Amino acid sequence: MTSLPLARRRRGRQVLRNTVVGWTFLLPNFAGFAVLTLVPVALLFYYAFTEWNVFGGAEWTGLANVRQLMHDHSFRTALLNTIYYTVFHIPLTLVAALALALLLNRRLRGVAFFRTVAFFPYITSIVALAQVWNMLFSPGYGPINAVLRGLGVDNPPGWTTSADWSMPAVIIVGTWREMGYYMLLFLAGLQTIPGQLYEAAKVDGANAWQRFRAVTLPGLRPTTFFVVVMLTIGSFNVFDLILVMTNGGPGQSTLVLSQYIYQKGFVENQFGYASTVSIALFLICFVITIVQFLINRRQS
Amino acid sequence: MTLLEAPPADRLSLAPPPAGGRRGKKINRLLGYGALIVAAAAILVPFYWMLMSSLKANNDVYTIPVKWLPDPVVWHNYVAIWQKSDMTTWLKNTLILSVAVTLLQVLTGSFAAYGFAKVRFPGRNVLFLAYIGTLAVPWQSYMIPQFILFSKLHLSDTRWSIIALQAFGAFGVFLMKQYYESIPDELLDAARIDGMSEYGIYRRIMLPLSVPALASLSLLTLVKTWNDYMGPLIYLRSRDLWTIQIGLKTFVNTYNAEYALIMTGSVLSVLPIAIIFLLGQRYFVEGIASTGLKG
Amino acid sequence: MMKRSFAAVLGATAAISLVLAGCSSGDDDKGSASGPQTLTLAGWSFATTPEFKTLADGFHATHPDVTVELKEYDAANYDTQMVADLAAGKAPDIYAQKTLKNFYTYQNGKQLVDVSDVATALGDKVGGISSYQADGKTWAIPYRQDSWVLFYNKTLFAKAGVKIPDGSWTWDDYAAASKELTTKLKGSKAVGDYEHTWQSTVQGFALAQTQGATIESGDFSYLKPYYTRALDLQNAGAQVKFGDATTNSLTYQAQFGKQSAAMMTMGSWYIATLRKQQASGEADKFEWGFAPAPQLDKSTTGTSATPVTFGDPTGLGINPKIGKSKEATAKAFLQYAAGPDGAKALAGIGITPADTEAVKDTFFQLDGVPQDDLSKFAFTKHDTKPENPVSKYTAALQNILSDLHTAVMSGSKDIDAAITEAQNRAKTEVLNK
Repeated sequence: MTSLPLARRRRGRQVLRNTVVGWTFLLPNFAGFAVLTLVPVALLFYYAFTEWNVFGGAEWTGLANVRQLMHDHSFRTALLNTIYYTVFHIPLTLVAALALALLLNRRLRGVAFFRTVAFFPYITSIVALAQVWNMLFSPGYGPINAVLRGLGVDNPPGWTTSADWSMPAVIIVGTWREMGYYMLLFLAGLQTIPGQLYEAAKVDGANAWQRFRAVTLPGLRPTTFFVVVMLTIGSFNVFDLILVMTNGGPGQSTLVLSQYIYQKGFVENQFGYASTVSIALFLICFVITIVQFLINRRQS
Repeated sequence: MTLLEAPPADRLSLAPPPAGGRRGKKINRLLGYGALIVAAAAILVPFYWMLMSSLKANNDVYTIPVKWLPDPVVWHNYVAIWQKSDMTTWLKNTLILSVAVTLLQVLTGSFAAYGFAKVRFPGRNVLFLAYIGTLAVPWQSYMIPQFILFSKLHLSDTRWSIIALQAFGAFGVFLMKQYYESIPDELLDAARIDGMSEYGIYRRIMLPLSVPALASLSLLTLVKTWNDYMGPLIYLRSRDLWTIQIGLKTFVNTYNAEYALIMTGSVLSVLPIAIIFLLGQRYFVEGIASTGLKG
Repeated sequence: MMKRSFAAVLGATAAISLVLAGCSSGDDDKGSASGPQTLTLAGWSFATTPEFKTLADGFHATHPDVTVELKEYDAANYDTQMVADLAAGKAPDIYAQKTLKNFYTYQNGKQLVDVSDVATALGDKVGGISSYQADGKTWAIPYRQDSWVLFYNKTLFAKAGVKIPDGSWTWDDYAAASKELTTKLKGSKAVGDYEHTWQSTVQGFALAQTQGATIESGDFSYLKPYYTRALDLQNAGAQVKFGDATTNSLTYQAQFGKQSAAMMTMGSWYIATLRKQQASGEADKFEWGFAPAPQLDKSTTGTSATPVTFGDPTGLGINPKIGKSKEATAKAFLQYAAGPDGAKALAGIGITPADTEAVKDTFFQLDGVPQDDLSKFAFTKHDTKPENPVSKYTAALQNILSDLHTAVMSGSKDIDAAITEAQNRAKTEVLNK
């Protein structure tokens, strides 16, 4: 009879103890995070419903910004372009990064050099990188089109100077730049897979592909999940690459959401409306991330 | 350096089981190298271009047809850039910031990640969602409120602003949490039964086990801080606080027609990180292998 | 449970932000009317833009107890940094209006002190002052007024045997000369002209020279003849293609200075740059001059008429946070910078001040500045219309027009379709508000 409340009390004490322990772990990071990031982000949810020019106070306008967003043609263009980028950038980068990681996880001579090479694009400053790639892509004088012409392509693409090819050009550079970054995460992830699993699979007569399916992929699930979430968020927020490579052009062919936010805010000084667009971007990202979390939970 | 690495057979060989014994293995190895060399060449082209341009006379950078080798080789650019810019100051500042941010991020991030991954308490998941949520908000949209706040705290135009800006990000927490989750709970329960406290478990078990992840996080944070442009641009005004990225960008604006020099600056901005990576890359593929969990 | 803790987090953050917002401090009003004072002045790229130091030193010479301290901003992100500093109350006492496009942001945001009294004291000698007027008051004082002219390389013209500009050119004459130059210079790397990638190289002239054209009308048909001509020159090979100029980050300084083009329209600031680069060896040594910009039709050509061109003034404004005691000193600085003394000092370093007539002699005494009569005429006589007429719509409309520029010049869209699209966007996204 008395055992039930006792058990509950004990459980209650356990919860309390865990909460205290949990919070002591979180606190050093959370204190900085809450004040420096969470507060400004929370304010955004207020500014999204105001007209605000950053200097004075924000003026509450209710749903006016949302209504404007619904009819904003440029917003729609930016959204579609962002999706275009995301849909190609994520799978390409994922496959390239994983392939590189598998290739470079071996103990080959010179592997340190190759790992460094693969990581090079990511550490190169984006300013220098844009300069170089734009030169390579130059329609008239660039080496890429020179090679294409040599291969018999009569009318090589205009790359960053053509409305049809500018987004593919940006996707190529984006993938090239980030694959080394995610390769690194996959490399670290591969270390968590115990070696005997492979040996056991080998004993069972599994071939390389089967071992990859049965051992590598499941073992990499936490890493893959992290990579996919980061890639999703990163692709939806792609900004600096576009800014330095095409600045959204030609026309609006590479205008993406985060750049549209920058334009509305800093160029046109409509920080209220810029906040509304940010919230829209946030919600899209957030919903997709939650779906990814749910799928991940079901799988594991 | 690569020779120092332990020689045991591939732990993770994608190759089919050697049908023809040794010869099959050799062919495999050759195929692997072939793939690597092709991939490396493709990856390196732009970087090669950067390096070669930095060794060219300015007028030879853009030519028709393209010149793939500098002729003559101009080493002078590497002298000129030190004379024309405050490269030393920029590199020093960037290094200080990167190291400080990395230390804080790895420390607080992995600490918090343990709380998220291995301690159950109410509200944990919601809090974690709030962390992830902020990653999904583009920085330029809350840049101004944040700047006003930093200014009120008297942080702007000091090194602290960049440190505070980067060190408590959600990224590190998320990354470390993912790795901690792949470490089985049984291991921790065993330690708990032995009477180890949660802090002890974190220090004695989790940290040693997560060396590859810690190394990755350190490097990624270092690179991120090193290459950050918008942060220093908004927060740092004094010339003596400038980092390599704003320095380089201003240099590009000032000497906008001197392509060779711009490329020289770019090469120099990449070099320190490349060296750090080369020295530290061993740690991404070691760690668990040496702790015994594997066996 | 989950909901409650989330609300708690939100509540806590809101509380913190309120506390933080509450502790905003007032002006730090330390200086007094008499005794030594320090003014802070915002500028950009001090290494290549010496004008701020010139003005600061010049003012200190006449007002020994006032020190003007310079604060450097990033040239490419000047307004971003300034908006942030103003919003946080940390901006300098006096700041330049780098582009007229953003003037409305500062004026409408109440970040400028009314300087109508300075404007009255200066009178009507200072060009471009009207651009800074709104609500019947003046909010900034221009200290320099650049206007666009046609630079030409006399050496290349002589080599090709083409007649140099004489002030009578329309755009058709310009296009014909450019093509002729290209043909006759074949074999060298030079072509007829270089048109930089900025939207103003086409749109600035179109807006200034077309009767009745305004940005705010939302009718952009006035752009068509100008784009047709630019595309024609580009396709004829008489100027570098837009796509190659952007992807190779071509700079106009190198294109004209290294003799890759025989002609180029550019703002008058380039006079000082070219002169300096020729002296330092960054640019080739050749004979050059500048002429009035080509005109839309004959009615404004010839040295008896006043050529129409465009250019935005650069003004100085005062930050309202400055405090009453320093405000008078700051106004004195503005008056100095825009007045004859400031103008002379600026002309001495090759800058086009707002009052060009007063400094003609000083300016043309500089080494390396062309001495011919047409250059002098182009320097002093012009009807300079603003590139960015001040209105709350300007920044947004210029964005749309910038998209039009890149789409048309890269050949991604034909001119009629691009104009129609820009007009639609202007109507639905900007003008209906």
